[in-house]
Amino acid sequence: MTLEPDLCEKCEEWMQPYLDRELSDSERLEAELHLDGCGYCRKRYRFEETLRVFVREVCSEQMPAELKLKLASLRTPL
Amino acid sequence: MSEVTPTEPRRLAAEARDRVRFEEEALELADQVYRVARRLVGSREEAEDLVQETYARAFRSWRSYTPGTNLRAWLLRILTNLNIDRGRRKQRAPDMQPLEEGDYYLYNKLEESSHQPASDQDAVVERLSQDDVVTALSSVPHDFRDVVVLVDIGDFTYQDAAQILDIPIGTVMSRLHRGRRILKSALAQEAVGGS
Repeated sequence: MTLEPDLCEKCEEWMQPYLDRELSDSERLEAELHLDGCGYCRKRYRFEETLRVFVREVCSEQMPAELKLKLASLRTPL
Repeated sequence: MSEVTPTEPRRLAAEARDRVRFEEEALELADQVYRVARRLVGSREEAEDLVQETYARAFRSWRSYTPGTNLRAWLLRILTNLNIDRGRRKQRAPDMQPLEEGDYYLYNKLEESSHQPASDQDAVVERLSQDDVVTALSSVPHDFRDVVVLVDIGDFTYQDAAQILDIPIGTVMSRLHRGRRILKSALAQEAVGGS
């Protein structure tokens, strides 16, 4: 199967709901059928998946240790 | 049946136990609460203040938490309300239309800006730096960013995000989809520059 611009456009629209598992069964099947034959869309879907993991990793900053102690000190004294 | 009715000291002891359990469980979630807070506000100092205020309030009003419900979402609800109350952010975004391209735009920009073809999509992601992502995310308008941070970084469900932000679930979904596109457009600007 070669590039089909209309279907690629539809697949671009479907990318987020597909990865979020929000598409209906028939839409999902249609998307997967297209993705099986279209490397252009497949690469972009895989990129999005990798990007989401990357964004989560680089945006996750560890809590400073002093803050943890400060929070514990806010507890009600026994 | 008088032995079934707890006496006052027993009631107090049970309440103290519940409170200790609540405080321990809340503290175990502090790392995750901070991680979200850090991306909701502009600086580390603001995030630390906000998390402290959140825990101070949570420990005061622990009785209003229903055991068995999502404690992490309950804490984040307090945190986002405090963030709005403190005027750290305007609740309504100004009437601006952020740049928002299609979902393939970032990949296309990264691929066309490179001199060698990417062997795989991981290599394309590696063209982005941590700074690119952090800067791009902070440029996303608050209404969109809050949802992206809660769902994509905090790992909250749409339902939880809707409750935390007190908006309908449909609004969560549309802001999430648009917010991710705005983020990717901003990332393209950061990584590749204006077209």
